[in-house]
Amino acid sequence: MSKTLLIIEDNEHNFYMMRFLLENKGFTVIGAENGRKGIDEALRHKPEAILLDIQLPEMDGYAVAAELKKHALLADVPIISVTSYAMVGDKERILASGATGYIEKPIDPETFVEEVIAYLRKDGEET
Amino acid sequence: MDSASRFQRLSEPACNPGLLFLRFLFIFLGITGMGFGEAHAQVVRVGVYENPPKIFTEESGKAAGIFIDIIEYIAGREGWRLEYVQGGWGEGLDRLERGEIDLMPDVAQTADRERLFSFHKVPVMSSWFQVYTRKDSAIKTMEDLEGKRIAVLERSVQHAAFQQLADGFGLTITLLSRPDYQSIFEAVVGEEADAAVANNFLLLTARQMGLVDTSILFSPSNLYFASPKNRQESLLAAIDTHLLLLKQDHQSAYYRSLKYWSSERVKFVFPAWAKIAGLGVGLALLVSLGGGFVLKRQVNARTRELFLRNRELNAMYEEVKDRERALRELNANLESRVSQRTEELKEAKERAESADRLKSAFLASMSHELRTPLNSIIGFTGILLQGLAGPLNEEQQKQMRMVQVSSRHLLALINDVLDISKIEAGELRLAFSTFGLPGAIEKVVRVVSPMAEKKGIGLKLHIGEDVGEVCTDQRRLEQVILNLLSNAVKFTDKGWVEVICTSEGAFCVLAVKDTGIGLKPEEIPELFQPFYQSDTGLARKHEGTGLGLSICRKLIAMMGGSIDVESQWGSGSTFTIRFPKQAGGLI
Repeated sequence: MSKTLLIIEDNEHNFYMMRFLLENKGFTVIGAENGRKGIDEALRHKPEAILLDIQLPEMDGYAVAAELKKHALLADVPIISVTSYAMVGDKERILASGATGYIEKPIDPETFVEEVIAYLRKDGEET
Repeated sequence: MDSASRFQRLSEPACNPGLLFLRFLFIFLGITGMGFGEAHAQVVRVGVYENPPKIFTEESGKAAGIFIDIIEYIAGREGWRLEYVQGGWGEGLDRLERGEIDLMPDVAQTADRERLFSFHKVPVMSSWFQVYTRKDSAIKTMEDLEGKRIAVLERSVQHAAFQQLADGFGLTITLLSRPDYQSIFEAVVGEEADAAVANNFLLLTARQMGLVDTSILFSPSNLYFASPKNRQESLLAAIDTHLLLLKQDHQSAYYRSLKYWSSERVKFVFPAWAKIAGLGVGLALLVSLGGGFVLKRQVNARTRELFLRNRELNAMYEEVKDRERALRELNANLESRVSQRTEELKEAKERAESADRLKSAFLASMSHELRTPLNSIIGFTGILLQGLAGPLNEEQQKQMRMVQVSSRHLLALINDVLDISKIEAGELRLAFSTFGLPGAIEKVVRVVSPMAEKKGIGLKLHIGEDVGEVCTDQRRLEQVILNLLSNAVKFTDKGWVEVICTSEGAFCVLAVKDTGIGLKPEEIPELFQPFYQSDTGLARKHEGTGLGLSICRKLIAMMGGSIDVESQWGSGSTFTIRFPKQAGGLI
């Protein structure tokens, strides 16, 4: 059974690219174009991991990460933020808001999927 | 007494020494008006006491002073024959009370005195009292009189008035009564008393005795002739009539007398032998008459000169005042302009600062906006090149690679612009972490090795064995090393590029050596300036923002380190960075 990943990303092209790369490696990909929908989708599907853009309209990535961490159901779901170092202190803020790790934008298609896999829980860890 | 000679004197300019001499000579020669007095003239007895210059007895025994001048003038007009009765002040008042004299001069009106005496209406003059002291005295104000001994004229108005004044100040003073002003001042000179109370007319006398006046003034009063109560009303009425007329005319005997007695005069002393030799001085009289005439002319000339000089001085004073006003206006004007300009500059500074903040925010936001589409370009190019979307033919692969190189270059440019704008805005902060330096260096070397390989140049790496973990901003350090290393590869067409990393105490030293084109000496100082680009034809083909080295220098400085370059034109360069192993601890 293929693993399901949730991508919260407002840019259509970036979403398409990430979905293409992940589906190419056999993942099932769900998408959400804003934080509110992303939280709903996460609660409905309980994905293996959540790929979270930081620069989102209305509710930004930090708020979304903090909100996701409040739900016990999602407590052990890794949040991988996909971001550029646009602003001072971005990285620290991302980790402080509850993200497990980050992948820097622009993503490198050759290494992207491997980086995502590195953040997933090993099968043995699942209880 | 000779009222005639006195009037003659009063009608002449007062301070002419020649005329004074003449006057005394007349006295000596016995040419007095005494013998010409009318037998049936009304006799008026006038009290005299010692209070110069108002009233006093001259050395010759004659009564003199302002009051005497005035009463003699009036007597002359009224046909009175004056008889002077000398004595102390209190004595005079007693005599007046008993009707032994008809007029007592220099009397201030008080309620008590009004019961005993009659006064005319027009005051002869005004007077006030002041405190005189020795020159070395510390007495300056009323308070300084506490516990002091003060000499005052006995039975005088000032006696009571001063006691009252001292009581008002809560002072304890000792008043020493003296019969006349001479003894009062002598008491101060002889240090029996600390200060003297006397009227303002005594200033000259006091100064001549070596005393000084203080700023303690009190009891201004009007002075009159007093007569026994209701007995000499006609005398008093006559005095009032003449005083009114005298006071209206500024050239009158009244004003001449005041002026005469209140200016400083040369004191003439006539020894006995001078009188004996009087006749022999007849010649001298003629000489002095001539001399008097000359002197008078000289005085007039001098007066005119002084008048002109005074006018000149007044004009100068006005001019100075005008200039002062102009200066004050100019000054005020300047001050307002300075503050206006300061305000303008402050506004300009605020505008500039706010523009700066806007610029930084704009650049940061634009850089992000630019990177988002670039993310897609780089990503999809990669996907296509990997063949994930299907196989590409050789030409398609070649062109897609060009897209990849160009988009990566564009990304580097955007990153540089973002970095420099953050640095300029003071918003770039370092994120310190502990990591293995050898691993970080190797990672950077791996990035540039394909380019070096492609150019056919060697890439050597030497890391000292004692180089281990460091605590600094890994990403930024890697960025600096990558910048130096890719520059080295870029500007080297043959030979090799070498990275040498050593540990030096608390510092790490990393050198990037190349055998490339090198730098001209004049290029080196400019090298780390923003937007600097090497002026060689070769450099132009290596596009860049020209921001790389200036960013490197700033980043290394923020880590507490430094960057240096050594170069030989045509034979290569060595860029060396030196940074603390524990930068995190330093900040």
